[in-house]
Amino acid sequence: MSQSLRPYLQAVRSSLTAALTISNFASQTSERHNCPEVEANSSPEILLNPLHISRNENEKVKIEPSYNSVRISIRIKQADEIEHILVHKFTRFLTQRAESFFILRRKPVEGYDISFLITNFHTEKMLTHKLIDFVIEFMEEVDKEISEMKLFLNARARFVAESFLTPFD
Amino acid sequence: MSQINYRTINIDALDPESSANFPMESLLPATLPQAASASDAANAATQVRQMLRGGDPEGALRTVLDTAPLGGDDRAKEVHLATVIDVLQGIRQGEMTRILEGVCSGDGGAERADCLMKYLYVKLLCFGFQERNCLMEVRGFDCLSIDYRYKGMSSAAPGSGTQTPKKPVSPQDTGFSQIQARNLGEGGGGQQMSVLLSWHERLVEIAGTGSIVRVMTDRRTV
Repeated sequence: MSQSLRPYLQAVRSSLTAALTISNFASQTSERHNCPEVEANSSPEILLNPLHISRNENEKVKIEPSYNSVRISIRIKQADEIEHILVHKFTRFLTQRAESFFILRRKPVEGYDISFLITNFHTEKMLTHKLIDFVIEFMEEVDKEISEMKLFLNARARFVAESFLTPFD
Repeated sequence: MSQINYRTINIDALDPESSANFPMESLLPATLPQAASASDAANAATQVRQMLRGGDPEGALRTVLDTAPLGGDDRAKEVHLATVIDVLQGIRQGEMTRILEGVCSGDGGAERADCLMKYLYVKLLCFGFQERNCLMEVRGFDCLSIDYRYKGMSSAAPGSGTQTPKKPVSPQDTGFSQIQARNLGEGGGGQQMSVLLSWHERLVEIAGTGSIVRVMTDRRTV
């Protein structure tokens, strides 16, 4: 792991540990409703100060805590346009399957590539530290995956171009 | 009046008793110190820089955190933020832990740790953007207005670095090109970030996760 990646992930981990102290909280506006307050945005009192952690301008995380839910938005590293396309395809693949992927949000927050929404029901059903581990592992793996895909794509493009141009040689 | 579709009006927002109109000022404690002005912050800054030059980084950090303008205006907060960052960058990596332990112990040590944590989070956000905008974003509690600002921001600088505008890079209409500045991933200011991230790590080791929780819940922003 690179030298500056470790403190970045460590900062995200400790911030998430702090943010994921959430509990059940019924809606204040409608009776017998219970919705994630960070999405419903029904009262400024319930939204806590958002935490931002950035490693550089291309890699950052935004954590928006509230009483009963936390929204985590990740901006994945994109150094050039190919990576931008790959990231878009990759996150699209994931978000289209969001219903079988409990904590994934269907649409990322503006300015970020992928968002997770963790509510108190998720932390009751699942282990909180495992959820945090998952987010951290996702951030580690996705960078690797994207650069691997990019290498593979370049190798393939080179091969295709070569075989296409062979008859004209 | 007939133009407006009355079904789409959010009547909760019109009710003064509704939770949407919660008076945020009531969350600030009554013991908030006197509002500091920009000149007060500048005075504190010169004092702190003198201590830093005089070879007393621990005292400088202690003073700068004790004089944080929790009740000040935006200008004072900006000036003070610059001072804090100067102090943090004036301290060597090897001395970090020792100085932090000194600052976070004794009378009011926990408050200083929380205050430093707030500054770290403000600075961890601010990197690479217009500082003023993101400072206001930190201070605004309203999520909607934050998202609007993000819209403006993402159209101004979509993904790439600050120096190169992204659009005119592609030579063809359809294709994309790789002809652009490489090494954007680690470039520009990443060094400063990693210093702040290691400060953050040490501070969590000393002050614990509770300090981050207090950053989230404390409405007295820095």
